[in-house]
Amino acid sequence: MRAKNIALLAVMTSVCVGIQLTPRPPQIEFTSLICFLTGFLFGSFFGVSVGALTMLINGFLSPWGFGDINIPFQILGMALIGFVGGVYRKSCTRAGNPSARWFSLEVSFLAAFLTLIYEIIVTVGFVIFLNVNIIVALILGAWFTVVHVVSNTVLFGTALFGLVRIVSNVLGEQPWSYKKEVL
Amino acid sequence: MELQKRSLIILCLGWLASLALASFVAGYYYMEFQNLNGLIEKYENVIMRVNICIDYKELNETVVWYNDTIVSLGCNLLQATETVALVNSTYSPAQQASFVNAINGVSNHGAYFWMWQHWNDVQEKWEYGDVGADRYRLTNNETVRWRYELPSYT
Repeated sequence: MRAKNIALLAVMTSVCVGIQLTPRPPQIEFTSLICFLTGFLFGSFFGVSVGALTMLINGFLSPWGFGDINIPFQILGMALIGFVGGVYRKSCTRAGNPSARWFSLEVSFLAAFLTLIYEIIVTVGFVIFLNVNIIVALILGAWFTVVHVVSNTVLFGTALFGLVRIVSNVLGEQPWSYKKEVL
Repeated sequence: MELQKRSLIILCLGWLASLALASFVAGYYYMEFQNLNGLIEKYENVIMRVNICIDYKELNETVVWYNDTIVSLGCNLLQATETVALVNSTYSPAQQASFVNAINGVSNHGAYFWMWQHWNDVQEKWEYGDVGADRYRLTNNETVRWRYELPSYT
């Protein structure tokens, strides 16, 4: 790995961990957005690395307490989000860039699905730890899942497009030129 | 073409997610319902069900029914009414009973008062209560009615 890449990984992970450890309402987080963004801009490997590292550090430093047996599941869930960010980018490059509106719509739907998968993966951790039925565990946490999914859907739909453009500009690249929207 | 295929897949995934979420929420309320039912079954021998009607017909043509209201066994009409409505009452030591001043913000006004009646199952008619609401002990499956009305004795 090149020094530039390592620096990039460290910066993105620091941003994620910093936001993750900031006091915030439960189930509202920006980590998945940044992991997806990282995967999208710098490839699946980076997305997976940022997601995994962030959740590893978060597991030990989280204000909600030590992650315990749940840490590997949180790592897996967040790494998946970063991975899909890279895959989505590849798909966009191959098939042609969608318009800004379509992009926002697609990523918001994708966020809903990925957040749900993340919740299911993390619940599996709880199930193993607490030895309860997974369906019961998912049902009992239904409202937490709803808050997480809805907040991520809104966040991805409203912020990701802007973030992609900002980071691209900062990096001096134009990897993602959108078709101009006609209102 | 591929763009459409990808979009379609993503939209389907989002739709699946919303479906799963809806199922979880439905499951949550189903479990709550089951828990509540279990609780009611557990306390079945210390509760009873009554039907309470609040009749604002003289005021605004509204009649509201609270059927199968669960109250504790042996509770009085005033307590039962307080479980379904906001009641303002004054206890009169001389009468040793409470006088209802208002129900759900509708106060006795002028010659109009809140009167209560209970349904006579045998004669199949409403009968006026002859005691204060807090002196009347309800029985299981009893039907009672509060009426905002001009009492016949006025």
